[in-house]
Amino acid sequence: MKVFSNSVTYDYSWDEVSTANWRKYGPWNNKSEHVIAVDTLSRRVDPDTGVLRTERLITCKQAAPEWIKSLLGGNMEESFVYEASYVDPRSKTVTMVSQNLTWSNLVRVQEEVVYRPLSDRQTQFLQSARITALCGGWQRIKNSIEDTLCTRFKENAVKGREGFERVLEMSRIVFAEEKQKLQQQGVVLMS
Amino acid sequence: MSASLAPECNEVKERYDTCFLKWYSEKYLRGAEKDNKECADLFNEYQKCLGVALKSRGIDKLLDEAREDNKDNDSRRNKF
Repeated sequence: MKVFSNSVTYDYSWDEVSTANWRKYGPWNNKSEHVIAVDTLSRRVDPDTGVLRTERLITCKQAAPEWIKSLLGGNMEESFVYEASYVDPRSKTVTMVSQNLTWSNLVRVQEEVVYRPLSDRQTQFLQSARITALCGGWQRIKNSIEDTLCTRFKENAVKGREGFERVLEMSRIVFAEEKQKLQQQGVVLMS
Repeated sequence: MSASLAPECNEVKERYDTCFLKWYSEKYLRGAEKDNKECADLFNEYQKCLGVALKSRGIDKLLDEAREDNKDNDSRRNKF
């Protein structure tokens, strides 16, 4: 098993980050070409805890290295990830856990992401992923599969940060514009 | 907003996502409302469309297994 972990501080409030997180893979993100679709499967608020639970299906398209393709066979182009997320507005915490649905008998990838406020203006993103090759055979091959996926995680983490920074920036601009529009409408109505 | 894996569901998905985001930022985060009633009809319409696509591609079965795996997380995260 290999473990990948990563931490990023965003200079945005937790409210802004947790809202923009829902549009992380939208058109504002120009670094997430590998995520081609995000579908919501279920969503409900727990009446006792107030926690918002959401299930999503994430469709990725990312070419696997040739040697893995030849080893595992099949069409590796499209892959699916199941994600369950929990927003607790009282403790201001977003937790997202995800696992791979595709090739799950060969490799198991479990990721956990947490967003927490560091201050009124800063939010911390903590990411960890456990990668375990399950296929039988030589340990060396298992290690290579785990290393390759771990490297892929590192590359995607850099892109993830850059892309999300852009989404946060755009969200703030659009929000300010909308607020201004509403204020102008208010002025017109009052005059 | 991001696309749906089923292009035929894109239009209703977009409308639902927009509705949800507005509710999330303006009501849910402010503690005003626990239920997302205003988006419920759009969500049901979206699910009806998506459900067909998931079934025809066999993804529904993969999801059932993943949900089973995720039960521990559910019990840990939902009750603080």
